[in-house]
Amino acid sequence: MGDSQYSFSLTTFSPSGKLVQIEHALTAVGSGQTSLGIKGSIRANPLPPLCFLPYLIPFTVSTFSSSINCTILAANGVVIATEKKLPSILVDETSVQKIQALTPNIGVVYSGMGPDFRVLVRKSRKQAQQYYRLYKEHIPVTQLVRETAAVMQEFTQSGGVRPFGVSLLIAGYDDNGPQLYQVDPSGSYFSWKASAMGKNVSNAKTFLEKRYTEDMELDDAIHTAILTLKEGYEGQISSNNIEIGIIRADREFKYVIQTQFYSHFYHPVIQSGIAL
Amino acid sequence: MQTSKQNWAECRLPSPLDRPSLKAHRRPNILAERKAQHEYWRRPSFFLLPQSNPASAGCCFNSNSDPRTKEKGKRRERVREREKRGKKQPRRSPLSHRLRTQIRMTGSMDLPAKGGFSYDLCRRNDFLEKKGLKVPGFLKTGTTIVGLVFQDGVVLGADTRATEGPIVADKNCEKIHFMAPNIYCCGAGTAADTEAVTDMVSSQLQLHRYATGRESRVVTALTLLKSHLFKYQGHVSAALVLGGVDVTGPHLHTVYPHGSTDTLPFATMGSGSLAAMSVFESQYKEGLTREEGIQLVSDAIRAGIFNDLGSGSNVDVCVITKGKTEYLRNHELPNPRTYVSSKGYSFTKGQTEVLSTKITKITQLKQKVEVAEGGDAMEE
Repeated sequence: MGDSQYSFSLTTFSPSGKLVQIEHALTAVGSGQTSLGIKGSIRANPLPPLCFLPYLIPFTVSTFSSSINCTILAANGVVIATEKKLPSILVDETSVQKIQALTPNIGVVYSGMGPDFRVLVRKSRKQAQQYYRLYKEHIPVTQLVRETAAVMQEFTQSGGVRPFGVSLLIAGYDDNGPQLYQVDPSGSYFSWKASAMGKNVSNAKTFLEKRYTEDMELDDAIHTAILTLKEGYEGQISSNNIEIGIIRADREFKYVIQTQFYSHFYHPVIQSGIAL
Repeated sequence: MQTSKQNWAECRLPSPLDRPSLKAHRRPNILAERKAQHEYWRRPSFFLLPQSNPASAGCCFNSNSDPRTKEKGKRRERVREREKRGKKQPRRSPLSHRLRTQIRMTGSMDLPAKGGFSYDLCRRNDFLEKKGLKVPGFLKTGTTIVGLVFQDGVVLGADTRATEGPIVADKNCEKIHFMAPNIYCCGAGTAADTEAVTDMVSSQLQLHRYATGRESRVVTALTLLKSHLFKYQGHVSAALVLGGVDVTGPHLHTVYPHGSTDTLPFATMGSGSLAAMSVFESQYKEGLTREEGIQLVSDAIRAGIFNDLGSGSNVDVCVITKGKTEYLRNHELPNPRTYVSSKGYSFTKGQTEVLSTKITKITQLKQKVEVAEGGDAMEE
């Protein structure tokens, strides 16, 4: 490839006008564990349905199989999910948390390199705090996405650094309603109704395209997310293998821990994820 | 030159008397000359020169007004005369160059690269004090803030008056600041300092909560506050009463502007602290219930409000227990404002004397503007 001699230095364009290092970063993302997200439409009923009440009753455990990360914007919120395939059964899965909260109303999931994700989460949290201290207003989702993307872009135009090997799915709920953004290693960001990244991304996206409806409810969205993850996962899915985070109209980012459900009738048990 | 970066107290200017000059035989009074020169550059009025240009405010040496510079100008002329005559210039000894550089560098104060207290002006300040210059006094800021530990948690209380000298600046300000959902902090002293410090530590605690995934602890807030205040050596005038409930139980601390802290079952701070402390000392006991705690805190604050000029207006109370925090803003209003009618002032007609009358007719603007179609007036 004629590009190969331009591929080692990030700050040099190739003759075809590409920054080859960023392409490589996207490849790194594409080989990471899948994540997905779904956003519901704002047209639908913003109140949580009454059928949430029976969720307090535990049911028997069922297993999912899905190893994709997806985020889905539901009618009254956003769902983000990821598979959590650990390298060995000896790894303590409670110590691994791939979905993180950046502010009480914004959560994030990634595909790609974990350590890069940690650095970005730390920077984004600090920027959200600085925004709050300056304007005494909680940072809107678009602002945080923009600032995170600016950080990622900085690392594509500096000397001696490499781009981040992660793509982020940032989900939040603010005055503009539920929002879902994907941020790439190049620093570009897009708003999605439903998206997937990582391994099996094409299958996941096709599945989402088929299953996604504009006025999806949140529990439907969670179910769709799990089914999408199930598509590409080899093996049994259980609550230890996947992570799901949701944000609803109450604007609090929470984790979903499904201890028990029937395979045909899904009842998520929702836990507040962060002790704040 | 490392001089300006070292601690000023350690810096010792080399005396010109340390090393005799090689050309002493040429100028027999060289030692006296050097001594005079040294005395000149270290003269007291040096530091008290008025600064006309604010940009040079940090600089003690104003070359335009200094008579020595004019002498130097004359010296340059002398050098040029010598060169014209073809005579060699005398070589300057390295010592005088070093002395010269140090003198030059003392003229412009270097700011420290990092934060914290800068010791550059300590020597000057000591000198000025010896000469009799009075240091500006501290403005007493008025507040009564209290805290006590009861059986289920912590109760904090504060008055709501903010003063600017003898004037009440804010009749209903908030002195109980949020640090964490389970930790609140009352602040006395300069309002800006307490606000800024508590905001900053609150932000740091939030980041810490995200990093650890746990509820914040009161000792964490305490340590962050005290290390910040110590770093600024008491110049951040914030006296705080910090209270909260965490996994280890209820805690109450006081933080002083210089960075020292106390851990107490009941505490008061501010100018009304003695009035409030008298109430606590006589009525506090262990194992108070919630109602008793709130009542005692209100009594203490009211004692401060009525007996201290710097405190006044209303009583704010904050009750923190495990899992729940209640901020009772304006829990008591012992100083209600008795106003006249809400309609405001009413003046009957004829009460105001008319001095002159001038009537101007307002004409309607009837100018029409024609909009021309097309044309290339504004090319994109």
